[in-house]
Amino acid sequence: MRLWARAKSMLRNLFRTQQVETQLDDEIRGHVEMLMDERVAAGMSPSEARRSVLRDIGGAEQLKQAVRDGRAGVGLEMVWRDVRYAARQLYRNPGFTVTMIVTLALSIGANTAIFSFVNALMLNDLPYSQPERIGTIYTRVTGAHPYDERHKLNGEQWELLRDNVPSLISAVSSSRSSGVNLQTGTHVEYLHAGRISAHYLDVLRVRPVMGRNFLEAEDRPQGPHVAILSYHLWRNTFSSDPNVVGRSILLKGEPYTVVGVLADGAVTPLNADLYTSVQASRKGEGGGTNFEVITRLRDGATWQQADAEINHAWSLRTQRYELEDDPGAQASWYSVPLQKGETAQLRPQVLILMLAAGLILLIACANLAGLSLVRTLRRAPEIATRMALGASQWQIQKQLWVESLLLATIGGAAGIGAGFGAVRGLLLLLPEHFLPVAHVALDTRVLMFTLLISLLTTVLFGMLPAVVARKFDVRATLASRTATGSDRLGVRQALIVGEVALTVVLLAASGLLIRTLIHLETLPPGFNPAGVMTAKASLDDVRYRQPAAFLKLINQSIAAMQQIPGVEHAAVGLSLPYERSLIMAGLPISDGKEAGQKAAADETYVTPGYFETLQIPIMAGRSFTDADGPDTQPVCIVNETFARKFFHGANPLGRHLFKGTMIVGVVKDVAMAPGIDPIAPLTGEQTVYIPASQLAPSLLSAVHIWFQPSWIVRTAAPVEGLTAQMQRQLASVDPNLPFSGFYSMHDLQAKTLATQRVEVALLTTLAGLALLLSSIGIFALVANMVTQKTREIGIRIALGSSIQRAMLDIGTPGVRASIVGLVLGLIFCAGALRAMRSALYGVGVYDLPTMIIVILTFASVVLVATVTPTLRIAGIDPAMTLRDE
Amino acid sequence: MNSKQVSLLQGTLDLLILKALSTGELHGLGISRRIEQVSDETFLVKPGSLFPALHRMEEAGWLSSFWGESENNRRAKFYRLTKAGRNQLEVEREQWNRVALGMANALRAT
Repeated sequence: MRLWARAKSMLRNLFRTQQVETQLDDEIRGHVEMLMDERVAAGMSPSEARRSVLRDIGGAEQLKQAVRDGRAGVGLEMVWRDVRYAARQLYRNPGFTVTMIVTLALSIGANTAIFSFVNALMLNDLPYSQPERIGTIYTRVTGAHPYDERHKLNGEQWELLRDNVPSLISAVSSSRSSGVNLQTGTHVEYLHAGRISAHYLDVLRVRPVMGRNFLEAEDRPQGPHVAILSYHLWRNTFSSDPNVVGRSILLKGEPYTVVGVLADGAVTPLNADLYTSVQASRKGEGGGTNFEVITRLRDGATWQQADAEINHAWSLRTQRYELEDDPGAQASWYSVPLQKGETAQLRPQVLILMLAAGLILLIACANLAGLSLVRTLRRAPEIATRMALGASQWQIQKQLWVESLLLATIGGAAGIGAGFGAVRGLLLLLPEHFLPVAHVALDTRVLMFTLLISLLTTVLFGMLPAVVARKFDVRATLASRTATGSDRLGVRQALIVGEVALTVVLLAASGLLIRTLIHLETLPPGFNPAGVMTAKASLDDVRYRQPAAFLKLINQSIAAMQQIPGVEHAAVGLSLPYERSLIMAGLPISDGKEAGQKAAADETYVTPGYFETLQIPIMAGRSFTDADGPDTQPVCIVNETFARKFFHGANPLGRHLFKGTMIVGVVKDVAMAPGIDPIAPLTGEQTVYIPASQLAPSLLSAVHIWFQPSWIVRTAAPVEGLTAQMQRQLASVDPNLPFSGFYSMHDLQAKTLATQRVEVALLTTLAGLALLLSSIGIFALVANMVTQKTREIGIRIALGSSIQRAMLDIGTPGVRASIVGLVLGLIFCAGALRAMRSALYGVGVYDLPTMIIVILTFASVVLVATVTPTLRIAGIDPAMTLRDE
Repeated sequence: MNSKQVSLLQGTLDLLILKALSTGELHGLGISRRIEQVSDETFLVKPGSLFPALHRMEEAGWLSSFWGESENNRRAKFYRLTKAGRNQLEVEREQWNRVALGMANALRAT
């Protein structure tokens, strides 16, 4: 009630000032007149009475002011007055104001955008209920080859975890979703399917809107074929069929029973169109570490308890893979929040960017501080006048801070706009499913962050003018009509030194990343990527589990594609260059002095035309031919790395791998996505090629669960409608086999290097921003000196100094500060750039060409920023400036 | 100025104004006269304190005002207690009594 009364009066005081004032006038006049009446009645003359009354009450105006000062909302009104005054000041200096706001908008925008990603990747909870109770398991191995990372599980570990760790609900899945064919009527679709264990969706607390999650009975090896549909698939392919649960669908050529449909917007780390049960065991897929694990802590249990149970359960393992490389290795396990597990790879990159954005903010603040310092010095006469008229130090300070705050607020608002645009642009730049999170939003936390850094900038750049204004000497300032602080040049130079140093670090860092990208993009691919079109199809299909059917398909489809006019070569391979391929650990070498040694290598099957189609040079021996069949001598081809690594330069031709597979050829290395040793995003790994016709029947269905083979064709010139013709030729062999999409080899390379490309784009943008800000700072310093010293220059020219001489004198402080900053920046680089080592490939941390380019770029920018303002000196007319005196 | 007059204690002005208005509506001059009268001319309320206090109390909702005519036909702003004002009078009276009692006790102690 009282609050409401106060609020009402406050609004009335603020918005109906006229009426309130009139009433106050009337009341006070009435009071004065009543007192006068009394005194006139007592015998005074009216004028005498008025004088005495006014004297007694201390003046009518003063009385009114006393009432006004006690009014509700008076504080707000004062602030409002300061804001209006500040706005007028800013409006009167459009050049200054625009520079300040643009600087603020760019720097705050950059920070807002980068922080949005930090927020989405590291701070926001995963979109599941009680996300703090969801985890995954990290393996820490000590010994000769130590590592500490999220590790996949084998079947034995899974069974032990499932049955012996009561603190957790555990679940496994395939490590990623893979392509499958779904046939509805005459229509066949290529979809992404994820294979999950019984409690996978329970761990995530994802409940179907229809039907149910998988039962344990459905997750046993050779269990029933069951599927859960995503909402999206249910709506689009099944037209939101309300009776879909219980219905049989034709998936991978076999009937599967739909048991559930997920809710709209329900997500899983697999991001699949539909889910089947993984039915993991110790055999087959479970013989190796192929399963991704997620866990949920049961009510009442603690993570410490769970970790102890995990370590105990897995001490019972019979298969200890960590001993393969190092007999002395020790393995232990611990739980990690799933959020961290999912984003671990992106964290360092995002942190580097956040750091860069922080540097941008500092550079911007240095600039803003310099600019507002100059402005405050220029306003010295005005401020001195106000002080002479009785303004208190507090009022002057308040006014300066209100101005800084107003600028930061406008800049911050513009920064949110810029940040929003930047996030949108960045998301367009990123490949699909690049981020492990569904949304990057400007949520409350991001906006709070923006508010916070806006305030921080205000403090950082507002402090300098405030401190300087505190020291104004009213008398001296009013007399000389200029600020008494020409010695502030030192402060401004120090600011320039600081921002230049930070800019140099950012420039060098982005230079190194650019060099890395150039290195990776120009890495000799080992084959000729021009003119090659590729497409994948899923052979995880009951119709292709027999070698004969599989061979018939690939032979006939290759023959059909060779019929397309313009196609020179066609082939099929399980995996292509730039891709990850099947890793086979423990391939035994069967003869020679390396007999019994086990090799780890990428393995891929290819058809005879594969090396010709990709133009991978055969360095020794022969390529596969149609004569290499299921019933002839098993053969393989190895790449140069394999030959070097396992045969140490000896001739590998004629030697045997596995049990009697003869090496018949050596081919050049091609660039692959790393699998065995992640050294760089593209690398040449030891690889074994086997003919598709000799793929072991036991391996046939397994590899097609994980990998979708690619059909590749080479054309001499672009062929009109090539992709449509490829699809038509495949359909002529099997009308129910869809391609997933078509990619040129260049697309595949770009996909592999997406992370590097994004990193380069972002850091280069930030470095460019830093360079822009620094050059504005240097320009402003020199331009301001020209303005300040116009009179002095005029006198000197009149006394015979040359224009060049004057330009040199004026430009020197800016150049000197830049050089000191540059040197300081290079010293910083020596320390700071080492942190980037893990992101660099093919270029050292101390890369001379990069440094030279940085220095040259900087030198030219400094030159432009100092020379441009000094050109105005040439236009100074000595006679004119002297007459001004 | 009467030598008996003392300056007002912090916070007592509100109480005196509320008390002055408890018997009926008055304009500003009337209020200050009533306070002088009832306090046996101990308190002299200066307009520089009175008017800000009246406006503040009106904003707080304790007083309401209306325009009327004074005894000798001058236009004047009259104040009267609202319901909240009467409650406030009781609250402040209570408080004052406690303070007065406490002060008296404190001064009597040896």
